Amino acid sequence: MKIAVLGWELPPAFSGGLGIHTINLFTTLSRVEEVMVYVPDFPNLDQSYPFEVTRVKAGPLGSPYSVNRDFYDMVLEYNKGIVEAFRPNVDVIHAHDWITVPAAIVLKRKYNIPIVVTFHSTEYDRSGNFNPQERIMSIEREGYTSADKIITVSAYTDKILRVLYGGGGKTSVIYNGVSSTMFSNVRKSYNSSGRVLYFGRVTSQKGPVFFVQLARKVLETYGEARFVLAGTGDQIGEITDAVNKFGLENNFELTGFVNDESALKLYRDSDVFVLPAVSEPFGMTVLESMSSGTPTVISKTTGVGETLFNALKCDFWDTDRMSEYVGAILRHKALREVIGRRGRIEALNFSWEKTALKTLEVYKSI
Amino acid sequence: MKRIVFFFEVHQPRRIRKFSVRDIGKNRDYFWDAKNLEIIDRVAEKCYLPATQALIDGNIKTSISISGVLLESLVKNRSDVVEKFKEYFQKTGGEPVVETYYHSLSSIWNEREFRQQVEKDSKMTETVFGKTPTTFRNSELIYRDDLAAVVGGMGYRNIITEGTDALISSHSPNYIYSSKYGQNLLLRNYRLSDDISFRFSNHSWTEFPLFADKYARWLEETPGDIINLFMDYETFGEHQWRETGIFEFLARLPEEVRKRGMEFSTISEVGELLEPKATLSIPNYISWADFSRDLSAWLGNDMQRDAFEDLKSFENCRDVEIWRYLQTSDHLYYMSLANVQDQEVHAYFNPYGSPFDAYIHYKNVMEDMRIRCFGENFKKKK
Repeated sequence: MKIAVLGWELPPAFSGGLGIHTINLFTTLSRVEEVMVYVPDFPNLDQSYPFEVTRVKAGPLGSPYSVNRDFYDMVLEYNKGIVEAFRPNVDVIHAHDWITVPAAIVLKRKYNIPIVVTFHSTEYDRSGNFNPQERIMSIEREGYTSADKIITVSAYTDKILRVLYGGGGKTSVIYNGVSSTMFSNVRKSYNSSGRVLYFGRVTSQKGPVFFVQLARKVLETYGEARFVLAGTGDQIGEITDAVNKFGLENNFELTGFVNDESALKLYRDSDVFVLPAVSEPFGMTVLESMSSGTPTVISKTTGVGETLFNALKCDFWDTDRMSEYVGAILRHKALREVIGRRGRIEALNFSWEKTALKTLEVYKSI
Repeated sequence: MKRIVFFFEVHQPRRIRKFSVRDIGKNRDYFWDAKNLEIIDRVAEKCYLPATQALIDGNIKTSISISGVLLESLVKNRSDVVEKFKEYFQKTGGEPVVETYYHSLSSIWNEREFRQQVEKDSKMTETVFGKTPTTFRNSELIYRDDLAAVVGGMGYRNIITEGTDALISSHSPNYIYSSKYGQNLLLRNYRLSDDISFRFSNHSWTEFPLFADKYARWLEETPGDIINLFMDYETFGEHQWRETGIFEFLARLPEEVRKRGMEFSTISEVGELLEPKATLSIPNYISWADFSRDLSAWLGNDMQRDAFEDLKSFENCRDVEIWRYLQTSDHLYYMSLANVQDQEVHAYFNPYGSPFDAYIHYKNVMEDMRIRCFGENFKKKK
């Protein structure tokens, strides 16, 4: 079977959820099937990949998450580029998110090749349901309705799409994997470090502002703790202001960008990882933290949570409950250890091999 | 004549409410009494009243143990249920069985405490039902040799426990045995018990549907003197809903049993009538809980052991009464991270959503108990 993948991020050029998904899933799939991946011609792409890569010229490009006002135009330009560069000798086209939907639809019409669209996130998620862009939603809708098969990374995302665009019935929920090799050597101590970790983009979708509120409440109720907010994003200024306003400077640390190696250490050396996302389709960091043996407290609107047993869940706005959970994990070693150890096993049960097998099933069901 | 020995556990814990860290030192009201009453009301209507009526109607003589914690609440809130049980014991010659008043784990760590709780339960039973129990059963049939020594010393002649695979591989549960210290020991026949309590409404069970005639035939065909059918009373109407036909089954069973020449007996009756077949030594703890039939349902993980250690530390607290309610084994059961086979059962009973929540609320109560008992300031203790 020959699969054409219309992608965007590809590590080391951007390592958001989409990039990690693309490289892991299609590396695995390329062992058994022929895979061709189309990506924008980022300057920092690797020389070679385990699968064939077609670099599409598309002018200056940014992250799909950036708020660059020209981003929409770039996407359309890139999609035009895909159509021009496309070689149609494939059995299926696999597009990812709205940013590759326009090309997929044109190619389906032109060559009569079936298309599968995976939704890693929706405009609803990215905007934190605050002022979503109608032009993006209309592309999403078109992709959702005209695809032969839909894949979502959680039932949570499937539900959002059904509510927004109706229909359903052709959707498969396929969870992301986690790299077991990356976390196989983690040696976690369950002695208290007093550290509470947020790790992710600092943007409204992920709820960093609730992390600050959480810090305030935990410090009030439980006493000493250290809050580490790792990552960058458009809300950094707002977060810094809030930290100062509440006088949390002595207990709060903003690390800025962290590389993979530092991230591993942060996961391992924290007592608890928190993801208070307003709307998170999957939540790869949750699995990464769990794979490191670190307990997680996550919002109910975090997709991966729907299938996790060893994670504490509450509403993203319910910082009372959240602080109750974080405080309990900080205070009780037994709780840290039980959730940490069992969570690690649970998380390492997610694998890209499973994701690949299920994706292959979708291709074959067309 | 083969004797069918039904034993029913009738118990509801006094659940603690979702006690928050913000309540510590401020709110001494640990118990979720509204919820507890709501559950007792529901179970009374669905199970206690109709099931007991069915036993009266069928003249089914059984042994029943109502935990002190529940009986106390029934006396206070549901005298109609108490009256129904009274009527049952009077009309059928059914036997009330004693246990620890608080349905606790005291037997495994504190003999003095254990004795007091059993005595309290016995007194309560006598006061309410006018009968002095001679049969003892421990919380969830927890048993080990030394328990028989203590219980025997208190004058009880019969004890019941689980017929674990290890035991029944050499000793059929369908006879009377003697404990290491000479009391009669009865082993639960878990297959025939679970056919009713677990499998009755299971559509994927090859024997589904189970009718009384078929079941009575199984009883008849099973070799032995007695068939020990020990189960939660709530099997009737609560675990197995009325819609499953469980009450029709119960109504029909006496006729099917009697026409095959069998009769219903209490534990103490068969204890007096029959000779023990052998003496059983059981050096390690067994129980009827979960797949592993040991203490792991209550002490299987670090959270449970941690909470249990906390609980034990309040032995000398002046507020003994509160402490004892916190000893009810259900509190620890809710923290169980049972294996996959048992998870459904645990989730069914858990009022807190997850074992982690159960642990957190309980630990908050323990923190408050520390202040209550010792005046410690928990914030200073890190």
